[in-house]
Amino acid sequence: MQASTSLGSACRTQLAGKRVVSGHRYPNARIALKPAKSGAVASAVVAEDKWLARTVKEVATPSSLAALREQSKSALATLRMPTTRNEDYRFTDIAPLLRTNVQPAAAGAAVPSELLAAHELPGAAARLVVVDGVLRPELSSGLSGLPAGTYVGPLAGAPEAVKQKLGSLSNSRGGPFAVLNGSLVPEVLVVAVPAERQLEGPLFVLHLASGATGADEVAANAPRLLLHAGTGSSAELVEEYVALPGGRRYLTVAVGELFLEAAASVRHSYVQREGEGSFHFKSTLVHQAERSQYTLAEASVGGAIARHDLVIQQGGPETHTQMSHFLLCGPSQTHDLHSRLTLDHPHGTANQLHKCIVSHASGRGVFDGNVKVNRLAQKTDAGQLSRNLLLVPLATVNVKPNLQIIADDVKCTHGCAVSDLRDDELFYFRARGISAESARQALVFSFGAEVIQRMGHPVLQKRVQDDVSRTLLSAEPFAASA
Amino acid sequence: MAHQILRSSRIASSTRVAQRSSRVHAVSVRCAAAPADVMLEVKDLTASIAGTHTPILKGVNLTIRNGEVHAIMGKNGSGKSTLSKVLVGHPDYEVTGGTAVFKGKNLFEMEPEERSHAGLFLSFQTPIEVPGVSNVDFLRMACNSRRKALGHPELDPLEFYAYIMPKLEMLNMDPTFLNRNVNEGFSGGEKKRNEILQLAVLEADMAILDEIDSGLDIDALRDVAKAVNQLRSDDTGVLMVTHYKRLLDYIKPDFVHIMQAGEIVKTGDMSLVDQLEAGGYATL
Repeated sequence: MQASTSLGSACRTQLAGKRVVSGHRYPNARIALKPAKSGAVASAVVAEDKWLARTVKEVATPSSLAALREQSKSALATLRMPTTRNEDYRFTDIAPLLRTNVQPAAAGAAVPSELLAAHELPGAAARLVVVDGVLRPELSSGLSGLPAGTYVGPLAGAPEAVKQKLGSLSNSRGGPFAVLNGSLVPEVLVVAVPAERQLEGPLFVLHLASGATGADEVAANAPRLLLHAGTGSSAELVEEYVALPGGRRYLTVAVGELFLEAAASVRHSYVQREGEGSFHFKSTLVHQAERSQYTLAEASVGGAIARHDLVIQQGGPETHTQMSHFLLCGPSQTHDLHSRLTLDHPHGTANQLHKCIVSHASGRGVFDGNVKVNRLAQKTDAGQLSRNLLLVPLATVNVKPNLQIIADDVKCTHGCAVSDLRDDELFYFRARGISAESARQALVFSFGAEVIQRMGHPVLQKRVQDDVSRTLLSAEPFAASA
Repeated sequence: MAHQILRSSRIASSTRVAQRSSRVHAVSVRCAAAPADVMLEVKDLTASIAGTHTPILKGVNLTIRNGEVHAIMGKNGSGKSTLSKVLVGHPDYEVTGGTAVFKGKNLFEMEPEERSHAGLFLSFQTPIEVPGVSNVDFLRMACNSRRKALGHPELDPLEFYAYIMPKLEMLNMDPTFLNRNVNEGFSGGEKKRNEILQLAVLEADMAILDEIDSGLDIDALRDVAKAVNQLRSDDTGVLMVTHYKRLLDYIKPDFVHIMQAGEIVKTGDMSLVDQLEAGGYATL
């Protein structure tokens, strides 16, 4: 058998005055932050962590959520919020969050109709408006028009087999924020697509969050999604996170658990456009059965500190995973992507494209992308590329694309580039009479567009691109080129 | 002297195109009467690779008058492409000596975008792809930059469509071309055609075509050459860089230069090309 392991890594770190930190000191060290799985502890348990003890309030628990709440609370009791001393949070300092008090959001927040009108998704099969974690049927549309057998709604009414899956991924592989979500989540939105059903048009989940009023308070927005795609089914999910008017002081701690049965196909677009100054922590946990296909396109442009923990497990042969991410870090924004993809079966494919722009000296991008090709995952074809643009001096990215390959007959590549714009790109514009500054703007715009376009939906793309333009304009003028 | 004429009449100049076959003859006649204005004059140009200071051009002399078509041939590494890039101000090269005067202005005192505004155009050998920027936006940006520099009003999107449609038609190009991203996923032929479309949109006075025949099949080469011929006029100059005679069969040059080790070592007409085809560079 032929062993064809090629590991091409091109690390370009350049530009004097720009701080580039690539790689961790202990590449394989992982600090375990797994919740204790006892579950027998009563809900009265007080968290050991001071911030958690101070901030996590008792939240009403629907009976369908009782088990999850119980498990999360017992885990919470021994959980400590991570600091930069934890490897997984080494570059993402959540100290500003830990100085706040988390308060439950007031129920039934008013949603202006203009906000809803500004967040349409033409062609969507249904629009589900989730306010502070609670599905609001009166604001949603298209629910009644879904094909028979497709369930979209709260956990209580979901098919029993799907209900059983709640927490099965997050309990074992979610991080501290997934545990926090389990303690705060008011309701779970379930999407269940039956076997062989091809859902036409995307399911558009619009997450809205209201802010807290107190100076050191943040309102908790803890939405949770459980998606089950039956054998041979296909579906598209679009998630967008935005603030309600005036919503600055809030914490979104979201969890999505996605189960793809054999030969199921799920396209997932995730757009993080949270309010300025807010906190956003999302965990997406995906289990893919054999021959299933999961395609994620992500854009993270809002909030102050935002982190996405993406954990994908290929649970069968000939499984395909595609991930593309675009993160824009403007003034005082930290955007973190931690992805973990595990391949355990032969003939799997995986492709990841990570693109990050840091447009301000106080911005920071963090990427830890782990692809693990285990012993049985022969004939894997995996590619991983991280491209980072630092537009100003002192802009920072901490990137660690990493492959762990145990199988010996695989094709894997990964690469990482940290740079300013390429000279030949700029020159192409200038040779056509376009000024260096206009060229830079167009190229910066274009840099993210490669990922954003993968979402389809021009209206959604435009919302993201408008945010991008705003952030780029708010930053100090581009440093003069050449 | 510098003349900035709007050459909208150029498009209708099919009669001129028809006369091209007797071009060489016509030039000699005209030279005897009143020589056309000099478009580009390069004198003793030396240039090296920026950073490494490896000299590439070692004293190039070249004069192109209005209406003339010149071709530069030479082996790989002889400096053909470097010459074309140096003229438009590519940052990979630095000029170490000599002059280049374009329409009376010193090229080397101008930024790349100013050279473009002045009417100098380079068709790139390998145009870059720009995902996320549509062709029509890019073309309009380029067009308006030049219009602004020339003191003409900029075109809004609607006006620009009216402006570009006849050009697409002339180049026999599909309008869907406009909505695609700049060169993204284009075939070799489409990229070259897109370069010629940019040339048409910018209405440049002097076109430098760097190996526009590379990577083209027969049909695509014919189309691209036809487009270039349609854009030619008595007021424009063309400098082609090529390895092959077949391009010159379509776009007939008035002058053929042979470049070797950074210098133009021989100048003649099409007969030089025939000589090359027959015996290679060694026979020159």
